[in-house]
Formats: sequence, structure tokens, C-alpha cells
Amino acid sequence: MPGGGRCPDCGSTELVEDAHYSQSQLVCSDCGCVVTEGVLTTTFSDEGNLREVAYSRSTGENEQVTRSQQRGLRRVRDLCRVLQLPSTFEDTAVAYYQKAYQHPGIRAARLQKKEVLVGCCVLITCRQHNWPLTMGTICTLLYADLDMFSGTYMQIVKLLGLDVPSLCLADLVKTYCSSFKLFQASPSLPAKYMEDKEKMLSRTLQLVELADETWLVTGRHPLPVITAAAFLAWQSLQPSARLTCSLARFCKLANVDLPYPASSRLQELLAVLLRMAEQLAWLQVLKLDKRSVVKHISDLLQHRHTLIRKAFREGTLEVEALEKELQGRGPGQGQGKEEVGNSASELPEGKRPASPALLLPPCMLKPPKRVCPAPPASTVTGDENISDSEIEQYLRTPQEVRDFLRAQAAGQAATSNPNPP
Amino acid sequence: MEREERFLELYLDRCTAQDDLAPPGLPLLSPVAPYDVYIYNSSHPEAVFNSHLEEVKETSGGFSSVDLSFLPDELTQENKDQTVLRSKGEDEENCKTQSPQSKLPLSSQRDVGLGANSSSSSNSHSHLHPGDADSVQHSPEKPDTLPLASIAPMTPMAPVSEGSEIVPQLQNIVSTANLACKLDLKKIALHAKNAEYNPKRFAAVIMRIREPRTTALIFSSGKMVCTGAKSEEQSRLAARKYARVVQKLGFPARFLDFKIQNMVGSCDVRFPIRLEGLVLTHQQFSSYEPELFPGLIYRMVKPRIVLLIFVSGKVVLTGAKDRSEIYEAFENIYPILKGFKKA
Repeated sequence: MPGGGRCPDCGSTELVEDAHYSQSQLVCSDCGCVVTEGVLTTTFSDEGNLREVAYSRSTGENEQVTRSQQRGLRRVRDLCRVLQLPSTFEDTAVAYYQKAYQHPGIRAARLQKKEVLVGCCVLITCRQHNWPLTMGTICTLLYADLDMFSGTYMQIVKLLGLDVPSLCLADLVKTYCSSFKLFQASPSLPAKYMEDKEKMLSRTLQLVELADETWLVTGRHPLPVITAAAFLAWQSLQPSARLTCSLARFCKLANVDLPYPASSRLQELLAVLLRMAEQLAWLQVLKLDKRSVVKHISDLLQHRHTLIRKAFREGTLEVEALEKELQGRGPGQGQGKEEVGNSASELPEGKRPASPALLLPPCMLKPPKRVCPAPPASTVTGDENISDSEIEQYLRTPQEVRDFLRAQAAGQAATSNPNPP
Repeated sequence: MEREERFLELYLDRCTAQDDLAPPGLPLLSPVAPYDVYIYNSSHPEAVFNSHLEEVKETSGGFSSVDLSFLPDELTQENKDQTVLRSKGEDEENCKTQSPQSKLPLSSQRDVGLGANSSSSSNSHSHLHPGDADSVQHSPEKPDTLPLASIAPMTPMAPVSEGSEIVPQLQNIVSTANLACKLDLKKIALHAKNAEYNPKRFAAVIMRIREPRTTALIFSSGKMVCTGAKSEEQSRLAARKYARVVQKLGFPARFLDFKIQNMVGSCDVRFPIRLEGLVLTHQQFSSYEPELFPGLIYRMVKPRIVLLIFVSGKVVLTGAKDRSEIYEAFENIYPILKGFKKA
């Protein structure tokens, strides 16, 4: 063993670790002298041949599984079972946890972070198998803070060099909508509010796809969009009975948390549907508003591909046309609308009111909160002279210093005597 | 015949000037074997040169009447280096061989295009490249089999950005400096009006000045961090002002080791971006988690810059030590973003 040990007999350094009837021995390969024998008993001279190694520098630390790592691995398995994941996921998640634990930054992290790491490993496993699991769910299960979770998640993805695919929207819709308690009759659920699961799922999926194509999903948390889409789908399946129900009540009935952005997503989705309705001739005459458009959602969804394609194509044409004179085409537009038949595919070309709003994400449609003026071109060189007066404006005069100290002392005296005599 | 010789001299002089600038002129001949089909036509050299010179004068003014049909389709997507290389290569062989009448606009194009080489047309260089970009529809008349590997690379003139006239604005500069003396933070906080010091919260004095509008963290070891400036020079001036304030408070402060640690810039490409698509194609560089942050985090390798790309088209660039890194990073990302302009 090349460890600096010397044979006491011949002085050679060629010591070999050998086993004699399963008892390990250190033997000199030159003269055959047994330098040390076994691990349990050593004489003083034997110890002189060995070098003391601190535990942290020995390999024992890497080979053994520490107690906190064992606890972490147990937590990973428990979390997989709670989420009812397939057994293969468990093994992958455990492997990720072990790989992460090899990094010193993780090994020395606080317990809180190690707990969150459990969730991160499970999340990465689910994402790679396209299992729709949101970070919110994991944070709720682990009682963890989303900030802590996000920091650890980004760190571990970078550390392990992983390619984590995005959340699969279609699967998330199916899982999330299946969790709504609207598909079975119950005492708390009025009869007219009960809905068929398949119909609602398919319509919600179509609405979510529509939202995705019209820039309502990019950059936003997916769950509120799905909630809003599910609500609209549910309403449109029986509008006469359900138009009076609000989004909050719907979520309470379905036994689902109402995410805060869901109401603004709902408004955006309704605005998109209204714009699509304006492009269908038989809906233009009805002059729909936010409530009445719900009744026609099935029509709009049926023709959504054509309408969106036309909207995107026409949007660019309109943007170019706006730069030219449009006044002359104004009177021509009204006639064009009346000529259109009932077929959705025969939408008149270029004779529709401009709808460029359909093409842009909502953040681009809102007016800017404050106009940022371009900074004036500065001619600073960095080496200018600094005048004394400019610096002195930042310094206190001696009188001001005295006043300040007096005020500070008075303030401290006041706080140290909270109860006035 | 005399006139012919004079025109020939003029033309060849221009070609030799270009020859001097291009390192190996000779290897260019062998790869351009396909172009040897253009045989020297001695009967019309005069006419050729006349129209050639006229073309040059004409194209210096504008490009509307010029025939860009020779430019291949792929020219717009190719590297700007290759654009210049290819034009350089074709120009070389134009000098060596005579091109037929129909190809003359080509040679004048190329002469005009290489503004660095030909003195007469330096002002028209800027016109050529938008012309390149616009000619996508034109089919190549010449076979574009020019192997570029054998042509020595030439440094392109100015960084041409394929039409992006957007320049990122610097928003914040973080710099550090060493005052090289131990400081009494309590005394600084007492005697300076613009300082705040809360030792329980943070172990440094936070000082602010109005011009340039910046904030500094001054530590008891004498080290200082200056943030908030909008340019490198302003950051240096501000750091010097802080050092002067500390000096006036009675400490033997000096101004050493000024270094810019980080620069942040931002700009707007003015069209919405499909972040989901971008993360699919550039997965090894991008990180897009809509559940955590609405923007896409793009870690560019060369230069080492982190970009935050948002759906509205706004881009934030950070992590630069030098202004040129920000500009270079934006020029690299702009064509990628243009690819995701529409669904």
C-alpha cells in the first residue's frame, strides 16, 4: 500500500494489503514481513506504520450513505408513493437525489434545502416522463416556500446539467380537470351544474389550445389559464342555467382552489372570443358582449383554426394596409360584410375591420406604464475635476453633527423608557 | 487600340489594388474552375470597360435599377464573413477573366460592394448588404459551388447585423474600487448626510450621490462597490466622488483598482416572441419555466452573457465586462429571435 509505511525489517516501502483467512494484513512484498495484522488490535509499533487520516479526507465518507442522505432517499420514495407515480419514477428520482448529494454544495446545505431537493428530484423525473406535475403541488405537499423551491430547482438543474422538458399542457389539462368534483351528483351540487367529463375535457382542451395560439399562455403560469378555460367550457355546455354562476362559485363547487390570476385570464379569453365572433358574419349581427358570447363558444371553437389563421394573416396585411390610406376602403367594407354567406370558409378577404389586437400578447397591448425617455448622450470622461463645493454638500457641518447626536440620544432615551412615568 | 490599353490599365490597376489586400490571390484561381467558362473576349473590351465604368458611377448613387439576380438564395442566411469572402472570391476571378456583357452588373456590384478595397465606392458599401438581404427571391445565375475553405478569411469591415438597427441601451454598471485604508463606518455615517449605516442589517455604509445618480456600498476594509451608473465613464466619475467624500471626512483614502464588474443593457425588438419554440430549439442554452418567471433565460456561450427574453420582445442582457460584449450578444440573438417572430 503506497501510504508512506515502511517495513520495520528491511525498510522497503513496498507494502501490499493482503488477506489471510479474511483477516486483512499489511505485508512487505520484499521480505514477507507482516507489518500490520487485522484492524482490531494494533501494537504501538504497528500504528507507527500507519498514517492518521481525518474522516472527512478518507473515502469512507463517500462510500457510506449518511443518515441525512438515507432520510432524503426515504422522503423521495414517500413522495413518489403519495403522488401515486409509477415505480420506475421512484428509481430515477432516487438516482437523481444520490447524484445531487455527491456535490459538496448540496451535502453541506441546510435541512430545509435538502427537503426541497427531494421535491426537485421528483419534479425533474416527472417532467422527463411528461407527467404533468406543477411546482405548486409539490410545494404544498412539502410545506415549502416557492422561492426556496425555485432557487434549489435552478441550482440543481445547472449542477447536474440536465435538460428538463417543459410542462406538457394537454396532460396538465386532463389531470387538472379530472380533479374537479362536477362529474358526479352530490348533495352540494345542483343537478343542472353536473357535467359530463369527456365533453368538458375536450372543450377545455380546445379553449386552452386557442389561448396558446393567441399569446395568452406564453410567459404565464399555465394553471390559471386552464381554470378560466374550464370555467368557460362548463358554462358554454349549458349556458342558460350556468351563466349566473361566477368563477369563484364554480371553483368552490368543483372543490378546487381559485388561482388569483384566473379572473384576468378569463377576461382575456373572452376578449379573444369576442374578436373571433366579430369575424363571423352571422355573429356580427348579434352584437355579442362578454356574457352572450358564451352561448356561441361551440360555434367559435368549431371554426377556430380558420379564424385564427385568417386573423394572423390578416393582421399582418392590416398592419401594412394601415400604413397606406384606408379611408377609401371604408364604404367598401360594409358591403363586403353583407355579401358573405353562412359558410365559415368563405370569409371575405381584406374587407373586415382590422383586428391586430389578436396578434399580440396582452402585455404589448396595454399602454406603457411610464414612458422611459432615452438618456441624453453624456459627455462624461470619468477624469473630470471634482469641485470641493460639490463634495461639501454631502457633509454635515459640526453644528449639524451635534444636533444629530442630540436627536439620536433623545430617540434612544425615548425607546428605552416605553412607559411614560 | 491605345484607348483600349488605357482602359485596360485602369481596370487592371483597380484589380491589382484588390490583389494586394487579399493575402493569397493565386489559390483563388483553382477553386473557381467553373468560372473559367468565361473566355477572354478581346473584341469588346472597350465596350465592356465603358459600361463597367458607367455602372460604377450609376450604382454609387442608388441601387434601385441594379440587377441583383446573381445573388444566391442562401446568401441572406449565411455568415456575413462568407458574404464578404464569396464576393471577394468572385471579384478576384472577375479581374482575371473577362465576364460576358450580362454579368457586368455583377462585377460592378462586387467592386462597389467591397468598399474597403475599392476607393471609388466606399460609400456604396452600406447599400450592398440590404440589397443582399432583399434578394431572397432571385435565383442564382452563377453556380454557388465556390468552396470557401480555400479562400483566406478576410476581416469584415463593420459588424453588419442583417438589418437590425437596434442598439441595446446600457442601464446599469457595477464597479468596484479600493480606497486602501481602514474606515470607521460609524464616523462616516455621522458626518456624511448622504450615508446610511445599519450594522445589524448590513456591515457597510450605503452612500448616495446625485450626480451621477449612483449608490455605493463602502466597507470598513476600504473596499467600495458603486452601482447605478449608465456608462463606464460615469461609473468611474462617481467612484472618484465617493473616494473624495471619504477623503474629506478625514481618511487617507486613495483611488485604486477601479474595475467594472458587470454591465446590464436592455432593448426592444418590437415583435412578440414564441418562448416555447425558442426553448425547444435552443434547449442547451435556454431555461424557460413559466411557473417561476415569465421570461426565458438564455445563457449565451460566446460571449458569456445571460439574456432575459420576454414575450413582448424586450430583451435584457447582463453579465458583460465590456460594452462590446453586450452589442455582440444582441447581434447574435437577433437573428434567432427573428426566427420566432410568428407562430
